[in-house]
Amino acid sequence: MFIGMSMTGDVVTVGPETGILAAQDAMVRNDIRHLPVVVENGILVGIITDRDIRSAMPSTMLSGSERAALKGRLEAMKVKEIMTANPVTVSPTDTLEDALLMMQKMKVGAFPVVDQDGKLKGIISVRDLMRAFVTVLGLEEPGALIGIVVEDKLGQVKKIVDAITELRVSFGSVLVARVWEEGKRAVFPYLLTSNIAKVKNHLRELGFTLLDPMEWYLDRLPKRSAEDETQTKEGKK
Amino acid sequence: MRRTGLLFDQRFMLHETGPGHPESPERLVAVMRGLEDAGLLSHLIRIPATAAKMTWVEKVHSPKYIHSFEEACMLDLGELGCADNAICMQTFETALLAVGGVLNSVDMLMEGKIDNAFCAIRPPGHHAEMKEALGFCFFNNIAIAARYLQFRWNIGRIGIVDFDVHHGNGTQHIFEDDPNVFYYSIHEHPSFAYPGTGREFEKGSGPGLGATLNSTILPGQGDDEFKPKIQRDLIPAFTEFMPEVILVSAGFDAHVSDDMSDVRLTTECFSWLMKKIANMADQFSGGRLISILEGGYSIDVLPELIRDHVQILLDLN
Repeated sequence: MFIGMSMTGDVVTVGPETGILAAQDAMVRNDIRHLPVVVENGILVGIITDRDIRSAMPSTMLSGSERAALKGRLEAMKVKEIMTANPVTVSPTDTLEDALLMMQKMKVGAFPVVDQDGKLKGIISVRDLMRAFVTVLGLEEPGALIGIVVEDKLGQVKKIVDAITELRVSFGSVLVARVWEEGKRAVFPYLLTSNIAKVKNHLRELGFTLLDPMEWYLDRLPKRSAEDETQTKEGKK
Repeated sequence: MRRTGLLFDQRFMLHETGPGHPESPERLVAVMRGLEDAGLLSHLIRIPATAAKMTWVEKVHSPKYIHSFEEACMLDLGELGCADNAICMQTFETALLAVGGVLNSVDMLMEGKIDNAFCAIRPPGHHAEMKEALGFCFFNNIAIAARYLQFRWNIGRIGIVDFDVHHGNGTQHIFEDDPNVFYYSIHEHPSFAYPGTGREFEKGSGPGLGATLNSTILPGQGDDEFKPKIQRDLIPAFTEFMPEVILVSAGFDAHVSDDMSDVRLTTECFSWLMKKIANMADQFSGGRLISILEGGYSIDVLPELIRDHVQILLDLN
């Protein structure tokens, strides 16, 4: 999946000479947290975030008169003074996986997307990535998730896919959790069917071990103490 | 005793889904056996099933979808959209009869001929979207009934309670923007069950914000988790909304013996809930209540579940 397909293309921008109060206003009005800074021909020169602006604001610890004194300075302050110049960018042909890993590594919330000439093409943010992964997981299509524990060896997912396909059931997505328990993997097909009992029974008949969500979360619930139990019983009397 | 209507017609069995399909004609055989063995049939006022007028179906479904459904049946394509939605040549007529029967029950209720009704119909409806068949459902029976109450009978506030173990995505989406139809559903948590909608943060949209409410039950949980959620969510919501008529999407697949879900309700819990709903109907709706069959696939327990359900409607307990 390429960034060009999932980025926000219609992007709100500011110029380096824009006042920071105007930039803040643009963020609030559009409910966004990042503004690419561009010059003529859409060439990207920086990015400014809501955090940059908040850092530039006078502290609430200051008295009213001290804050008022700084008001004039704030009104004159320009985007170029506090923006991140030459920010890290991505290209429309980079992938969503690239963006995801870069965000994790650099702890950045959004990257401007530019072409080879440095011209702004869009922005890709955590929100865009979340939307893309909701789509990829098929979460907005009616279906149901099942979990199957398999040996950590080649060909297991194929067997599962074949067994489910035999029943003429379509897949929304298949996730494989590589880390489950020693020597095991967990496979989570999201299936576009309401007839989930049929699928489960078929898989059990073929010898697959289905993950029991009850066991999983009951094991992890905080245990009630014997004292609580007695109190509840007495309460019922 | 209340005057309770019963909608059932042998022709509801003509919708054949093929071997191994859980939404089978045998479900209705089990339903009727439960009523007969308990000697309830003589107490019930029969509601006739007649084909619904297309104008009412079109209040919910797009003409294009209706046409494609009809065509798929005429051509005997075997399924609509996917294998879940098995069809035969009679499915379209059967679905129209089911909707028409439900609308007849609305008329009899509003004309004061009955106090409440149970509609033992197939195919079920609550998954059906405006333009799509889903989860064994083709026409959204309860949604069409609600629109009919609004447009034919000028009812201002309609409350829908959906206790099928699966979320009624179709019904929710159809009324999402409508502040005058309150949709409440309690179902297995969408991360574990079809159709994956009905999360607790889904509360309606636009003018309908606040008129949708979902309670979710994790797999493996039963009466002890179910009852407090009804008390916490449904009762206060309906007390505030004060529906003039209550419609129920009655699905019985949250029963511990039903393998379509991992929710584990007892037979008693279904009665407990139905009594709460009937009490609310008495309190807010002049008793006006129509219960419409959705899911419930355990042929063994359907008879007792339906018997108890209808006994509560009749106020025999």
